Amino acid sequence: MYVYRCEDTLESIFTAIYRVYEEHRPKDEVLLALDEEPRLFAEEMIVTADQERSGKVVRTLCRRFGMEDYERICFALTAEDVEKAQAVYRTVVSGLALREGAGYGRLFEGLGDAQVCKAFKLARSAERECCHLEGFLRFEELEKGALYAQAEPKNNLLPFLMAHFADRFPEENFLIHDVGRGIAGVHYRQTGPEAWVLIGGKGEKGAAVTKGVEAALSESELYYRSLFRRFCGEIGIRERANEALQRNLLPLHFRKYMTEF
Amino acid sequence: MAEVGKMSVMEKLKILTDAAKYDVACTSSGVDRRGKAGKLGNCVAAGICHSFAGDGRCISLLKILLTNECIYDCKYCLNRRSNDVPRAMFTPEEICELTIQFYRRNYIEGLFLSSGIVQSPTFTMELICRTIYLLRTKYGFNGYIHVKAIPGADGEVIRQTGFLVDRMSVNLELPTADGLRNLAPNKHRKNILAPMRQIQNGITQNRSEVAVYRHAPAFVSGGQSTQMIVGATNENDYQILNVAESLYQKFELKRVFYSAFVRVNEDKSLPVLPGGPPLLREHRLYQADWLLRFYGFRAQELLSERRPFFNVMLDPKEDWAVGHLEEFPVEINRAPYEKLLRVPGIGVQSARRIVAARRSCNLDFENLKKLGVVLKRALYFITCSGKMMYPTKLEEDYIVRQLTEKEQRIRFGSDGMTYRQMSLFDDAGFAGNAEVISAQEKWQTAMGQL
Ligand code: SF4
Repeated sequence: MYVYRCEDTLESIFTAIYRVYEEHRPKDEVLLALDEEPRLFAEEMIVTADQERSGKVVRTLCRRFGMEDYERICFALTAEDVEKAQAVYRTVVSGLALREGAGYGRLFEGLGDAQVCKAFKLARSAERECCHLEGFLRFEELEKGALYAQAEPKNNLLPFLMAHFADRFPEENFLIHDVGRGIAGVHYRQTGPEAWVLIGGKGEKGAAVTKGVEAALSESELYYRSLFRRFCGEIGIRERANEALQRNLLPLHFRKYMTEF
Repeated sequence: MAEVGKMSVMEKLKILTDAAKYDVACTSSGVDRRGKAGKLGNCVAAGICHSFAGDGRCISLLKILLTNECIYDCKYCLNRRSNDVPRAMFTPEEICELTIQFYRRNYIEGLFLSSGIVQSPTFTMELICRTIYLLRTKYGFNGYIHVKAIPGADGEVIRQTGFLVDRMSVNLELPTADGLRNLAPNKHRKNILAPMRQIQNGITQNRSEVAVYRHAPAFVSGGQSTQMIVGATNENDYQILNVAESLYQKFELKRVFYSAFVRVNEDKSLPVLPGGPPLLREHRLYQADWLLRFYGFRAQELLSERRPFFNVMLDPKEDWAVGHLEEFPVEINRAPYEKLLRVPGIGVQSARRIVAARRSCNLDFENLKKLGVVLKRALYFITCSGKMMYPTKLEEDYIVRQLTEKEQRIRFGSDGMTYRQMSLFDDAGFAGNAEVISAQEKWQTAMGQL
């Protein structure tokens, strides 16, 4: 058994996948581990994230399976699940075993395989949460006009959210704060599409993020908030009132940071 | 009018939201547009729901009227001339500010603008057009915009507006010309169909222009939709579905929306519906609409002159299946895609997965479950390698009884009607992506709420 110990980042996990091939390991005897648990009779490799290697994996995945499947892999890796790296590894191995061209758009077709099925489910649930947040996230305007949003996603979705909003609000300075993880994405106005960075992390850095956003609200913020609340209050049709359905479609845990609730 | 001028934006928003809420088409789907430097906004083809109102309907767009003043007197409408209600009118700048400020805060996906008719249809359409022009240019808004085309307005104004918006719709209001004559004396079927045809032609022409000149400006690229009120006049489901079908075929509409009649006016020509708005009926129509658009059904297969209403207990697909037992059972490992689609419990996604997966091996019931088939409902209608899941009778009464078993029955209480979710589109837990249908529509239609 060969155990590759990775960090919980795309780069590290992709680097590990590259090394498995580079080091010619028997594919069935490899474990990609995110935990520290010691394993008997196993050869251990510590993986240091490597841009070049992981970049090669990204390119291969895109070429062989298409953007959509590549994105699914990334979504699967946003999950909080210690076995996700292994599930993704197995999925990629089974996909790469197909001949060139046969796997395009079909990486996740082998749902009969437990690991592929697991990766697929992780991806689907993360993707769904991301869709929800793209709609349910709320920004508030701070004193100098910058926008600030808070969220506590189950999956580590900040990069996806940043990409979505960077395309949508190219002219805004904005910050999305993942409160649970103590990280934030910061977007600067007018510096091209790659105009955002992630900051923070566990411990002190995370605390710094929280401090940085304790700015006061802009003057008109409360005004627009109350306008929107009024709008939401008026738009429902009383004769069709259906709170159960509303709760079904907009689960309570999302409402914590939503202006209208 | 001086009074209107003094009114606060808050007050106007209250009145003009309240007046707009009966319009159904609150989706933002069908357009994919990247953001642009210097502009605000983009569009996502699948559509995005930003919130859900107390009635469970999605809030995606800032849905307001420009004004609720109106020179017409449609009997079912709160804004009709003869009603004594507070009136208000937004200025174009107010609408732009609201849209931009709501959008920046991610409250909304865009704007849905409709209006009562002031002075004349053309005058009203011009006001709408001017507002949207301002929003697109001076305010640099690049998000989703849906406007109503006002029947009877000058064709040129409608055309100009079409180049600024993503979706346009003309309300059919009532399914038949007769219904229209009774309840909307100022409106004529002909006037409603004319702009619909114009928009359709505009879209077709634009398609060939874009094919030749890649940068030709887009005309209503999200397509056009319409809506009709269900239950205000006495058309049956068969008539309504036939109307919808011909709108899809002859006018190439993207969507037809159905809106359960809500009695907002005391008027003797309006029916009194003791059960409230006919929500279940509306739900069945949406399900049937879905069958027309994605499952290859025709209106005539689902209903007939002799049987003009949908079954309350079964969804339209189940209803069709139990009435056509001679077509079943369907063999999963051999049946063509179109046949699989007609099996209750098999949706577009799972039918596709079946076709893909059976290339490599013979499928059994265990496999089907993984592919997202709802076996509980499909098992009466399918075989795997010649075998049924359980020995079961292929007999109408028996199957109907099984399908409508107690816990499966639609609960239709006042506080929380729970439709059997996804019943028609199934794919248990495997709700698909946006290939065929936008995620947004899928949710909403599945829940019978739009
Ligand atoms: S035209 Fe008819 S439906 Fe439209 S606002 Fe006026 S009265 Fe209402």
